[in-house]
Amino acid sequence: MSTPDADSELMNLLDRIAMQDDTALKRLYERTSSRLFGLALRVVRNRDAAEDVLQESFLTIWRSAGNYRASLSPPMAWLGLIVRSRALDALRKRTSDRADLMNELDEDLAETLEGDSTNPMDATEASEQAFALHQCLTRLENKQREVVSLAYLRDLSHGELAEQLKLPLGTVKTWIRRGLEQLRACMARYA
Amino acid sequence: MNISRHPELLDRLAASYALGTLRGGARRRFERLAREQAPVRAAALVWQSRWSGLTELQELAQPSSHVWTRIHNMVDAEKAARTMEAARSGPQGLPADNRGWWHSLLVWRGAAAVGAIATVAAVAVGVQVHGALKASSGQQIATLQQQLQATPQIQYVAVLSDDKAAASMLVTFDPKNNQLVLQRVGGFQEGADKSLQLWALPPSGGPRSLGVLGQEKLLTLVAGESDVRQVPALAISLEPKGGVPSATGPTGPVLFKGELIQRTL
Repeated sequence: MSTPDADSELMNLLDRIAMQDDTALKRLYERTSSRLFGLALRVVRNRDAAEDVLQESFLTIWRSAGNYRASLSPPMAWLGLIVRSRALDALRKRTSDRADLMNELDEDLAETLEGDSTNPMDATEASEQAFALHQCLTRLENKQREVVSLAYLRDLSHGELAEQLKLPLGTVKTWIRRGLEQLRACMARYA
Repeated sequence: MNISRHPELLDRLAASYALGTLRGGARRRFERLAREQAPVRAAALVWQSRWSGLTELQELAQPSSHVWTRIHNMVDAEKAARTMEAARSGPQGLPADNRGWWHSLLVWRGAAAVGAIATVAAVAVGVQVHGALKASSGQQIATLQQQLQATPQIQYVAVLSDDKAAASMLVTFDPKNNQLVLQRVGGFQEGADKSLQLWALPPSGGPRSLGVLGQEKLLTLVAGESDVRQVPALAISLEPKGGVPSATGPTGPVLFKGELIQRTL
């Protein structure tokens, strides 16, 4: 889990970035870029595209760090939401540009759901709320965890998930419903 | 139905809504309820926060080093563009009285920090004065830099800015003619009973007067190279009409200041 010290360092950097301090931006990049790049990569699945997303995200952070405090969010969560939002923009643009490309990617995606191989999670620097989510997600079956994660990270509907994962729609709905029920019960304990 | 009386259902809908899997008519109905009822809105926010934790749990991956270089360049260009924008719109009112500011180390540190940006801004503002500047892309700045380097008589250059970093005065030194050329680029105009006075701020000792400015947009002051050599910064203060003797130092507020940059070719 993240320490209060680590969070206050990031918050302090965001305050300085809001004052247009570019050395603070560099420090923030050093502290967070590999975590945020991992996220971008998970959403867009392509290194070049993920690097563009990371660049766009840091320009957004540079311009809007002044809004951070009002969000009342843990700093990594705020940064993560910016990256997810930029990554989804890139994904939508690419989907409309290159429908054929998605088919290749779907093959990779379908394979990750077979057997026990799933994308590992890493909660070493997570905020308290992310740590709780991590604890609850690890109790789900791999398949449930994976569809729930993908639904959120790539903003996919039941239908889109079924299509991309080459699964019957009913199966996807069932996995998500069961996953959600377990998660809700578990998260309620963390309030 | 008052959904707030069904916490189980509310929680399930809020979780699906924030996950993104609640779609179509069900999504629109939930959004309407959230607008009408604060507890529904609150439930949605709770789940949005919870799901946002997923963005923190992904595996680390190392981006290539050129990503930071690109970010850095774009941030630099944006800062330079903002300085130029400020130069176009001029100062927004008078800065507060800050007499004695040159004793502060912070000022010198600040001057050093804005040095790189000031270089770009000085070039851009200088050419803008001659009516050539239309936009502020990095490409154009590079072109302008080349043009300035091709103008050999300018050896020192400074952009003096107010406390809001709005460029207000462009100063160039021409050693051939022993002239300091000052160009007003902001909208500032002193009152009829006041004068602007230019000061050199040497590394040690007090400010040294370089002369009193007239009311013109473009004006020149006689100065030798020894007056500006190794002077890290210039400042302009607001003084009684006709200025004050150099030995007394500025008596009025310092309106504009900036780093003096020597062009090294």
